[in-house]
Amino acid sequence: MNSAAMRSLSIILRVWQYALSFMLIVALTAIFFALREVLETTLIALLYLIPLGIITAFWGLGPGISSALIAFLAFNYFFIQPYYTFTVHRPTDVVILVVFLIVAVVISQLVGRAQTGLAAATARELEATQLYELSTALTGLHDDYAIAQILAKQVQAVSRGEYVELNITGTRPFAFHLPEIEPPNRPPELVVPIQAARGDLGEIRLWRAGLAISSAEKRLLQTFASQGALALERTWLAQAESRARVLEESDRLKSAILSSVSHELRTPLSTIKAAASSLRGKEVSWDSPARAELIAAIDDEADHLNLLVGNLLDMSRIESGALKPKREWNILSEIVGSVLARMRHLAVEHKIEIDMPEDLPLVPVDYVQMEQVFTNLVSNSLKYAPANTVVGIRAKAEDESIRVQVSNQGPQVPPEHLERIFDKFYRITAAERVTGTGLGLSICKGIIEAHGGRIWAENLSDGFAFNFTLPLTWDGAQPPRIPMDTEVE
Amino acid sequence: MTNAPHILVIDDEPQILRAIRTILTEKGFRVTTASRGEEGLTLAATNEPDLIILDLGLPDMDGVEVCTRLREWTQTPIIILSVRDSERDKVAALDMGADDYLTKPFGIEELLARVRVALRHSGRASESQSKVVKAGPITIDLVWHLVKRGEEEIKLTATEYKLLAYLASNHGRVLTHQSILTNVWGAADADHTEYLRVYMRQLRKKLEDDPESPQYILTEPGIGYRFIADE
Repeated sequence: MNSAAMRSLSIILRVWQYALSFMLIVALTAIFFALREVLETTLIALLYLIPLGIITAFWGLGPGISSALIAFLAFNYFFIQPYYTFTVHRPTDVVILVVFLIVAVVISQLVGRAQTGLAAATARELEATQLYELSTALTGLHDDYAIAQILAKQVQAVSRGEYVELNITGTRPFAFHLPEIEPPNRPPELVVPIQAARGDLGEIRLWRAGLAISSAEKRLLQTFASQGALALERTWLAQAESRARVLEESDRLKSAILSSVSHELRTPLSTIKAAASSLRGKEVSWDSPARAELIAAIDDEADHLNLLVGNLLDMSRIESGALKPKREWNILSEIVGSVLARMRHLAVEHKIEIDMPEDLPLVPVDYVQMEQVFTNLVSNSLKYAPANTVVGIRAKAEDESIRVQVSNQGPQVPPEHLERIFDKFYRITAAERVTGTGLGLSICKGIIEAHGGRIWAENLSDGFAFNFTLPLTWDGAQPPRIPMDTEVE
Repeated sequence: MTNAPHILVIDDEPQILRAIRTILTEKGFRVTTASRGEEGLTLAATNEPDLIILDLGLPDMDGVEVCTRLREWTQTPIIILSVRDSERDKVAALDMGADDYLTKPFGIEELLARVRVALRHSGRASESQSKVVKAGPITIDLVWHLVKRGEEEIKLTATEYKLLAYLASNHGRVLTHQSILTNVWGAADADHTEYLRVYMRQLRKKLEDDPESPQYILTEPGIGYRFIADE
């Protein structure tokens, strides 16, 4: 409803109230007139006071006072002798008339004032309710956009404005509009700054044509603005605090990395140094079998060092969010095949069983990153599973995804560790017993999640398994159809 | 020893230069080294090496650019060196005309194998191409379009044969996805790596003893494929 229509409606209502008041007095006068012979003049004067009280109580001071005057005239005209004139002969009648007029006006005024007081109290109560609603809605919000949304809604609800705009400044400025259209093509009727202790946080701009904005409304909107300012400031402080906590956490992580890394890097380096220096010296004779062994140790440990450095780089890339899969439609068994070909020399003590259906669909993955995932999962399985056991790699297509399981017949993992083994530097066994950076599994998790998949661990009846899923669609696209030709050569 | 092949190594790390120079000299090659891109380009022009080993991470200029500038005037084979995770640069350099790549750290057998293949291909470019390529029991006759395992003929589709012929005539060399797709399917399909994945699987099933761990058609992760034939 627009404000012009509302204004005309309120005028009509007012006129109607006056008309009803007068009609009531006229009706009562008719009744009293019929009973004029029975009722005493003083009683009639008293009876007139009843409708006057009611009128003032319901419709306010204006109708009350004017009804009192009409009642006074009617009383004088119809009930004071001589009848049908406004003249008064008896002194007692003069007293009655004067007393009536005074009492009527005083009653009207008293009741009217109480009425106005009540209206003000109701308005204050409404204001308090609206403020309470706003502050309830704002508590617990930790998002400046949500705060702006609530604030704009409440401002519109109480002001019944046609358009509300919130401009929030700060580190990440934005504007919120209600309704979500272009603002009206004219300056706003009211602009209220959103102010907090440390300065301006923005402003509320309100468009409302027609009914002018009263000072009470303005005051209420200012209170709203300061509530909003408090909520925004609280949110920003909380954000700053959590940023500080993250920094602290990453600082702690960095020192953990440093200590783990220096330990892990030193181990292969010590081997290389010992082997190389003994080869250089005279200790090992040229034809001794120890010579070949030392050379192999240098070679292996150099590979190990390379793996460690690679893991560290991957981890830092995952941490910084720079790990962007370069997706292509790939055949999972090709990836697994090339991983196993490279790991063959590590898997001599285990049997590796692959179960991948021939008709497995193409998966949209980064070839190199998926190699990394399989390498880490298989090498982890080989590390913990006893010799002469089976490491299984299985894949099957489910509805919208492909599910892969890398299982081994190694020891089970206590259930409380199942979630945490994908955490950085998390180890179940003591660090001295198993080599590695403690990063392999968290790298897997980072890569799988960057692909939109999920990874988890579970205990099997005869061992332990890693599971992961990979989506089969890529930005909604299904696996492509490959144009195949027939045998002609 | 004046006929020994001459190799120019461009790398900014003195330890790597020292190691490569020692090993290649030991193997009978003549070796010149440069530690900057500009210096390498000058030496390539004045010394006319038979092979260039180029590190992609040079201090003064981008390795891919060195590659491009070299290819403007010479077809001397180029082997690029780079670290892991720079697949994009490797592919760019290979598509710019580099012949092969090695990821640091690399074993010396790998380096020597790449050098041998690169020198052989450059030597043959002027002569006639070899007509028959052998890989274990597989014989690929590029003239008669005939593929055999022992005496038994292997039936291939037209596309499979085209793919195998391209791989075999470049045996020992890495071929990028893009170069294979362009040569076999045409430039319009240069982005469809999935064609390669599917057709390579088909080829491996027909040629390899164990298609899951191939010996002849090798995947170069993130780069392309390499066909390994008998030397």
